[in-house]
Amino acid sequence: MGRTEHLRNVALVVAAAVILAVIPGSLTLYLRSFVLFTMMYVVLALSWNIISGFTGYTSFGHVAFYGIGAYACAILVTDYRWPWLATLLVAAAVAAVVAVVIGYPVLRLKGPYFAIAMLGTAEGTRVIATVWDGLTHGGLGISLPSAETSMPTYYAMLALMLVTIVVAYVVGHSRFGIRLNAIREDEVAAGALGIDATRYKLAAFVLSAVFPAVAGGIQAYKVLYIDPPGVFFVQITIAMALMSMLGGKGTVIGPIVGAVLLYAAQEATWVNFPTAHLIAYGLFIVLVARFLPRGLIGFAIDRGWARKGMVH
Amino acid sequence: MSQGTEGAGGEVSAASTAVAASPSRAAVRWRWRGAGEAGSPYLLAAFLLGAYALPFVVGLSAGTVRLDSTWFANLVSVLLGGVMQGGVYAMFALGLTLIFGVMRIINAAHGEMVMMGAYLTWVCFFRLGLDPLLSLALTLPLAFLFGMAVQKLLLDAVVGQPELTALLVTFGLGLVMIYTAELIFTTDFRTIPYAPGALQLTSTIAVGQNRLISFVMAVAISTGVYLFLKLARIGKAVRATALNAEVAMVCGIDVQKIYLLTTGLAAALAVAGGALVSIQFGFNPETGVVYTLQAFAIIILGGRGHYVGALIGGVMLAVLENLVSLMVPNGTAMVELAAYGLMICVLLIRPGGLMGVKEA
Repeated sequence: MGRTEHLRNVALVVAAAVILAVIPGSLTLYLRSFVLFTMMYVVLALSWNIISGFTGYTSFGHVAFYGIGAYACAILVTDYRWPWLATLLVAAAVAAVVAVVIGYPVLRLKGPYFAIAMLGTAEGTRVIATVWDGLTHGGLGISLPSAETSMPTYYAMLALMLVTIVVAYVVGHSRFGIRLNAIREDEVAAGALGIDATRYKLAAFVLSAVFPAVAGGIQAYKVLYIDPPGVFFVQITIAMALMSMLGGKGTVIGPIVGAVLLYAAQEATWVNFPTAHLIAYGLFIVLVARFLPRGLIGFAIDRGWARKGMVH
Repeated sequence: MSQGTEGAGGEVSAASTAVAASPSRAAVRWRWRGAGEAGSPYLLAAFLLGAYALPFVVGLSAGTVRLDSTWFANLVSVLLGGVMQGGVYAMFALGLTLIFGVMRIINAAHGEMVMMGAYLTWVCFFRLGLDPLLSLALTLPLAFLFGMAVQKLLLDAVVGQPELTALLVTFGLGLVMIYTAELIFTTDFRTIPYAPGALQLTSTIAVGQNRLISFVMAVAISTGVYLFLKLARIGKAVRATALNAEVAMVCGIDVQKIYLLTTGLAAALAVAGGALVSIQFGFNPETGVVYTLQAFAIIILGGRGHYVGALIGGVMLAVLENLVSLMVPNGTAMVELAAYGLMICVLLIRPGGLMGVKEA
């Protein structure tokens, strides 16, 4: 990718950042939280994409990190009276540690085995959050002290999204990212070329765990109530995977496009068809995976509308 | 299992395939140690011993274990109940391992098929007045057709694709099934009052009649399927396809037809499992997820592609679950951890499970 294309991309991100930074004052409360959650899903999809798109290890339990972050924030704010922003750092640190502990053994598994193990990890974390009364307040969940939080959480999420985009973009265009791609394509061959696959996979996994945890923390402070089934909801993982796939996984722009499109579509159908929208969502997942496994970008490349490697 | 090439980033593969033929040093050393992908069976045995001892240890320290005769009678009842429940688990896990073995697809909608079986039985019982066992004659052919339709419409297209595609397709199917069921039946828990009595083995040890009936049915059906796979010509063709689809094709096996049969059979096993579960436990549209994960745990414990392994794994999981719910405080929530913990630890210690991976 040439210098002009990098500059164009940077300009696009800066423009989007400026617009998003200016508008919240003039938005209604509903629209503001709509934009916030859209940004959150951009973060989630992009992070998932680092381990599953770039590296090819399909994580089917990434919601675990989101939930861990939400709990870290909620517990510290409620029980220890920490300032909220500081808890986000703890959320990121806890998620990173958990990612190392889980990732080191689990990343040895390949393909479907890794996916299943991650699914089990996420569900297991949910059960632990439910049972460990002393720390997590159990199945009743945690109500955070109420506060007007829509503006600070909006800007926090915006900042997080920008950081995530920059990190994903830099990773995607660095030697690090190319090595991750090599691991995805053929791990044995990558090893033969001198790539320490274990270390690279673990680094990608930790990176992909940190941002969802911070997003979870921000979300907890935005909604002011969390409970285990809510923040360890399987469908959040599915949303990450589906959004990445819809846009085009393994790219940077893909998950962003997918997250924006899908979240907007979900919100629209939810408002208009409160009962049928979940069935429609299921059908939509089936259709995307069945007919568009390489996403909109793959679709565009196949028809010659986009050059391979142009939108990366 | 290698990852598929996805969209961008394809330029790496050309360079890497050139050296793919020479295995890395790490791989050679790994093979030299003789461990292979199978892992150590001794470590697995030690882990399982620990896993079964854990509920006792927790129970002793929490004071739920009382070493008197009523407690022992209770323990024996619970163990027996676990074995019987395990037979049913094993049966629907057999369906999952069939699909996974033959097509390398994880059917994330398997638990929803179990749930569907439970509701079909409920409808037969309350609307048509059919005996749950008799209604199997009606529901199993229906399930078989359903499975074939799923294969034709969805799974045929995702065989051989990266695992995410199949996972998402089947998960989406599961969501459609869950919310359709909620639309029809609401989220209320349902039960089917069938053979609620208990069979007294001694004055203190008893087994629920419904459990016994389910167990006998599950064993009969599983044995039938097992014999079909072992002895029938077309059953052998299914196993051949599981071993190596390409070679099977070369030998003149119509692989597409085998896929249809496999998914049909798997759906029928799941629905049969649902029928037998429905006469023991309450269910609602969202209970399916738990069954999916239990079935995963069972096939991983047993060793994927191993039909006998699935049976052993089913019984082992159910026994462990029952031990946990008997002795560990807060047991009903912890029961789920048994399946997840077992699954992850077995994957890590010995991915091949009890019986070892049967690679083609």
